[in-house]
Order: sequence, then structure tokens, then C-alpha cells
Amino acid sequence: MDPVDIQLLRELEHGLLLVPAPFEEIGKRLGLRGDEVMDRIRLLKEAGIIRKFRARIDQRKVGITANALVAWKTAGSGGNELGKQLAAFPRVSHCYERRVVPGRWEYTHYTVHHGYSKDQVMEEVRVIAEKIGCPEYTVLFSTREFKRVPNVRMRENGGGIR
Amino acid sequence: MSGRLLPDQTDLAILTALQEDLPLVSRPWEAIAERLGITETEIISRMKMLKDTGIIRDISPVLESHPLGLHAATLVALHVPEERIDEIAAIISSYAEVSHNFQRDHYYSLWFTIAAQNGEGIHNVLDEILQQTGIPESDVLNLPTIKKIKIDVRFSFLPAQFRENT
Repeated sequence: MDPVDIQLLRELEHGLLLVPAPFEEIGKRLGLRGDEVMDRIRLLKEAGIIRKFRARIDQRKVGITANALVAWKTAGSGGNELGKQLAAFPRVSHCYERRVVPGRWEYTHYTVHHGYSKDQVMEEVRVIAEKIGCPEYTVLFSTREFKRVPNVRMRENGGGIR
Repeated sequence: MSGRLLPDQTDLAILTALQEDLPLVSRPWEAIAERLGITETEIISRMKMLKDTGIIRDISPVLESHPLGLHAATLVALHVPEERIDEIAAIISSYAEVSHNFQRDHYYSLWFTIAAQNGEGIHNVLDEILQQTGIPESDVLNLPTIKKIKIDVRFSFLPAQFRENT
């Protein structure tokens, strides 16, 4: 990653313009041609710095208002298996394995689910639990969203770059 | 398009397509429009409307944390008395290291994520938050990430008339 890449990532963070040739537009600000911008993006993807290029959508504005974090408890050593099984469900948007707090909170895996209603999400989680045979779980519905921004933001916490 | 409030089938198809990795071609909107059987002009005007109504926040890259120097992450849950939620949530949200901060219907009512360059960075932020808010350790669950298994946010959009059956 060179300084131009960092500049490029900072520009891209504002979002692409809704014009016919958005990469060319970005290039103008950086003194690059559109194809040079695309080449750099391609390389940043190959280097694993850009995971994906997509729309960030405010799902609540289209009615997807239910959001649940589900904590799952693995019995014994089946941890790896449970993570894979949970992640395989297409409607699971996030799946993490986390450290437990012994004696107080022994959930090992966490998934995130979205739906049009709590009932829809509850049903979805119930079906998953049954399919994978994991009866011990807790569903945590969000009631208020205080902050939701991308995990990595070049301008704010762009990590080691600072 | 005048005064249309709810996204129609075409809008939902556009939103679905925009959740996929964007084609790296000089005219990406045209490429998506072609797949959906609409014109470039139409997709751009619909995307503008979806942006104006706040349904599309932006179209931008998802960055990986590790290559950009964020090597440690955790999820923290706090038991917070109801009357202090707003005050404490505001303190937590003020940290750049915090990306998600939600209230959830549970005894542990505030759930937030911290990402930092290393474990020490996480520890410092969490310590500061606890000091500022006076929350005792016994009301804290610190759940560091062992493994990111999946991150793939992809909503399945349903037209309004089908939602009752979900």
C-alpha cells in the first residue's frame, strides 16, 4: 500500500458518486485515470485490504427493524463445528467465536440476525437451533441503536496508519 | 417517482444487486442495470432516490481490520441502570475505537464493540470507559474475539405485500 492507495481508500470511504463513470470521477481528485483507479482497487482486493465493494443499506428504512444478537453455548469441544454450522445459514450475517467469562457467561459463539419482525427472527433462530442440535442459546434483540459505523474507518481508526 | 415513499420491486432488486460485490468496470451502474433489464439512466435515478431517502447510506468498500493495523477486537456487555443508559451510551459512542453500540433487552443492556491495534489498546479504552462511568467490573462482560467466522451482511428484501407471511 502506497500513499496513493491510502488517499484512494480515503476518497472511496465517502462513497462512489452516482454518475455513469464513478471511478473516473474519483481518479480526477487523485490525478489518476479511471482504469488506474480500478487497477488499484483490484490490487487492494487481492491484498485482502478491501473485502468487498457494496452498498451500505439502512435496513430499518425498508422495514427490517428486528435485529438480534444470538449467543450460543457449545458443549465441550465441538466449538469449531458449531461455528461452521452457524455460519452456513445464509441469513446469518455475522458469526464470531468469543472468549467466555467462566462461571458468569459461558456462551462461545455469536450470530447476528435481521428480519421484518421479532417473530420472524425468533422462528429463524429456533429452526437453526433445532437443525444443528444446539438447545442452549440466548436471543438479544436490540431496542436502540446508539452507534453503527463501519468497523474500519480510514479517517478515524484506520489503524496502524495513524 | 414523485412522492413515492416505499421502494418498489425494482428498487428492491437494485438494493439486492448492490449488496453483491460491485463490478470493477468503468460503468458499473450500467453493468448492474443490464442484468436487471433497466437502463443506466433509470438505475442512477433510482439509486439517487434511495440515497436521498437514506435507504442507501453509501456505496463504499468494506475494509479488513488486520491489514489496516487493527489486530484486536472485543464485544463488551454492561449491566447499566435504566436511568443511566443515555448518559453511558453517549460516553461509549464517543470513542473512535467503538463501532457498534446497541441497547439490548437483557440484564446486560448495553452491548458495544471495540477494535484496536492490540489487546492493550482494547484494555485502555475499556478501563477508561469503566472509570468514567463508574460501572463495576462485576457488571461487565468482556468477550474478546477468538475467531471471525463470517461477516456477510446481506438482507433478504420482501415487497410489503408478502411480509405478513414471514
